[in-house]
Amino acid sequence: MSFDLTPGEDLRQILDAAQSMLDSHYPVARLRDGGADGLDPLVDFGAFLLALPEKEGGAGFSVVEEAQLHVAFGRHLVTTTALATAIARRIEPEAVAAAGVVDGDRWLAIAPRDASHILARTDEGFVFAKMGAQSDVVPFGASRPMARIVPPPDHRRADRETDHTACLLVAAQLLGVAIGARDLAVDHARTREQFGRPIGSFQAVKHHAADMALGIEMVSALLDTAAIALRDGHESVGFQIAALVRIAPRVALETARAGIQIHGGIGFSAEADAHHFLKQAHILRQFIGTYDMLQDPAPLAPYGKDVS
Amino acid sequence: MELTPTAEDAAFRIAARDWLLANRPSDPAPRDGQASRDYATRWLATCHAAGWSGLAWPTDYGGQGLSAARLMLWYEEYVRARAPSTLDCTFVALNHAGPTIIARGTEAQKAFHLPRILEGRSIWCQGFSEPGAGSDLAALRTTGRVEGDELVVNGQKIWSSYADIADYQELLIRTEPGASRHKGLSWVICDMTLPGITVRPIANMAGVTHFAEVFYDDVRIPLENVVGELHDGWSVAMTTLAFERRTAALALQLELSVKVEDLIAMADAAPGSATAERLADLRAEAAGLRAMTWRTALREPATPFDGSLMRLTFAELAQSIHRAAMDVLGPAGLVDSHWSYDYLESYSETIAGGAAEIQRNIIAERILGLPREPRP
Repeated sequence: MSFDLTPGEDLRQILDAAQSMLDSHYPVARLRDGGADGLDPLVDFGAFLLALPEKEGGAGFSVVEEAQLHVAFGRHLVTTTALATAIARRIEPEAVAAAGVVDGDRWLAIAPRDASHILARTDEGFVFAKMGAQSDVVPFGASRPMARIVPPPDHRRADRETDHTACLLVAAQLLGVAIGARDLAVDHARTREQFGRPIGSFQAVKHHAADMALGIEMVSALLDTAAIALRDGHESVGFQIAALVRIAPRVALETARAGIQIHGGIGFSAEADAHHFLKQAHILRQFIGTYDMLQDPAPLAPYGKDVS
Repeated sequence: MELTPTAEDAAFRIAARDWLLANRPSDPAPRDGQASRDYATRWLATCHAAGWSGLAWPTDYGGQGLSAARLMLWYEEYVRARAPSTLDCTFVALNHAGPTIIARGTEAQKAFHLPRILEGRSIWCQGFSEPGAGSDLAALRTTGRVEGDELVVNGQKIWSSYADIADYQELLIRTEPGASRHKGLSWVICDMTLPGITVRPIANMAGVTHFAEVFYDDVRIPLENVVGELHDGWSVAMTTLAFERRTAALALQLELSVKVEDLIAMADAAPGSATAERLADLRAEAAGLRAMTWRTALREPATPFDGSLMRLTFAELAQSIHRAAMDVLGPAGLVDSHWSYDYLESYSETIAGGAAEIQRNIIAERILGLPREPRP
């Protein structure tokens, strides 16, 4: 079929398997203990091989399937090292890379322990380098371990396709964060009672929840079409990635913020999980960076008067 | 998942583009009244003569039976070519009344009405809302009393778009005395020339007359004009919900991408300026709406309440784009232009066809599963 946006059976099977793995090894509640995520369950699952050709030991899936896998990782707030590693292995097959962002003349590495490399978002796009000497910093809100590093002198820029892939997968995780925050808030709104009824029966709460669904639907649709454009080399890929990078961080942040509000007092406490989604959204927002949305031609540009 | 046109799809797209660019009217559409009807019916007749009308209708009823993907290709070319807005006085007939008659009408109703609709010979309006039944449609009170082989209709409808220039109305009335809410309603074809009908056009805030009040004073409608079963009108009115993801509303959604490009060209904003940032957001959201439109059109099985997500995203983006246009125009926005006119018209988007608040309730209750509020 030439036009088809229904997820296939193969994809559903991978996602079911991923969900079992995530439920066993990365339940969101694990973050209450503040431990660092290991990568072993992800390696065993084949998370870093999924998109490699079968003759290289991979599963031969495309970025379309891989993006959906990262949505699931995002929902479970899996360490950004898994995300950066999945991207970095397109450059260096054995690398374990921490995610990095540029902060003035130094880089900030997220969860850098055990990482051999760093994949950092700079003004020129994603760059890849050996991990440098680290000095610890105090992360905001005790979120994730972070360290400052001196920018490695011999870093490599990702090529255009890897850059697009990186944007796609980070956006996929941002979508997952939004979905996770929404599900948590909706569950709470269904069960928490005040004034003798579930708070989710009040329109003020419902409309917050509806706004979450609206944002998620848009990012999810953009993710699907951008992933297909990237896989198939459509000429609109730059435009679609730019739109995704523009919208996904905003939706994740807004949804996480509304999620805390819907939880009320417990949402402000560190004992509920709502704040973890907000913090992950902030980290991923910095990691995805910005992309010029006005640069590429629009696929639905109007025809000029002189077209014939 | 695939979005790759086959050679036949590509040829279809080019044929659509070539035809649209060669045949689109060069003069702008009149905004209301008989002139707007003449313009719309002339355009529909032109489309029909070339085989480009009833694209989503089944071929058994004179339509083209296009797949969802082909329909999307057609409407993408349609908006890029700036063909006339699909939200004209033919909209209700082509996208609502016609499909309802196809699904639930009698053979006689089909034979009479469907060709007239497709050829642009008859215009329809909707008769659902009433002064006391807006968002709460099931509160409607217009009655139809069965007398022999006729219904005698009394009451009042409001916000009936194009009632002043329509030939027929899809009329939802209460036919079973004592029944309440969704029960005992009937969906009836009402000839707008019948004695006892009074149409009072209402000007809207954009200064044009698109909608009207309609009064019914002992209007006698033959029982054979009931579509579906008598007293089963609610289910008939809901019939076309499934069809709605394949209507000309697709063109309105896709058209926002074209409007954003026009706005970007008009604004000529300095890179990095606040206006450029705002335009970038609008451009990204229009791309998002386009992606949603494609996905909702193609994804199987259809999820019925996705329409609310789409409808609301469209409505709010349409308003954002026109607000931005007014800010870009500055003082020039005070003078009538297609931007200032469309800006004022856009206020209807979050009200007509289910207010934004109702859409949010539907999303929260039907999609997210939040508890319903206590209802009467």
